[in-house]
Amino acid sequence: MSGVELHLPPHVQYVALARLVVTAAARQAGMSDERLEDLKIAVSEATANAIIAHASAESPEAVVLFFGATGDGMFEVTIRDAGPGFDPGPAEADMDREWASEGGLGVVLIRGLADDVQFVRGEGMKVHMRFGVGLNGTSH
Amino acid sequence: MELSLNHRKEGDRTVLEVSGEVDVYTAPKLREKLVELVGEGHYEIVVDMSKVEFLDSTGLGVLVGGLKRVRSHDGNLALVCNQERILKIFRITGLTKVFPIYDTLDEALQDSE
Repeated sequence: MSGVELHLPPHVQYVALARLVVTAAARQAGMSDERLEDLKIAVSEATANAIIAHASAESPEAVVLFFGATGDGMFEVTIRDAGPGFDPGPAEADMDREWASEGGLGVVLIRGLADDVQFVRGEGMKVHMRFGVGLNGTSH
Repeated sequence: MELSLNHRKEGDRTVLEVSGEVDVYTAPKLREKLVELVGEGHYEIVVDMSKVEFLDSTGLGVLVGGLKRVRSHDGNLALVCNQERILKIFRITGLTKVFPIYDTLDEALQDSE
């Protein structure tokens, strides 16, 4: 896949820029308005998590987004940070969560909005998301 | 787009009108406003989100926090929202079961719970 790489300083005010740039690229790739809204939220959530984790690790590196359309009608976004990483937990447990907590909703949203998502914990964290460009995506 | 917040009294309710983008960067401003309102004794709050352009999980968390604060004073926090893109994130996170959500401000104000 050919794509665009975006390096962000680890400050939360850059989350708005990330969602603008990524949704502009997806619009150009022909993504429907409905799917653009899903993409916008999922990218914001994953970028916010990455920036917060990254800032806590005080890494001098940038948070890196890589995104673009694939040949098979999908749009992919990968977000990498050098933070401590996290365990996203099993997907099926999400709906049983207790609402006493005010955090942790971001992963629920990413899983609910992306057609496919992988959380890879290695040196830092890598979140890889796929979205169908067409009206209903592949699983919605 | 910046976040803008305005509140006014409507009978025994306090309407907080939110417009713009509520995200990880701007949500603390909303949290401060809700804490301030509850601190001043506003326990029946209607958050009018008709002009919200974007809402993320931080914003959801702040609204849940606000709901818990007013409930600890036997109050309530209702939402006004008729935008599908915003309602969708309340549905995915299961929060449609937690908040009373109305299509219009009139409906929210007429409902005596």
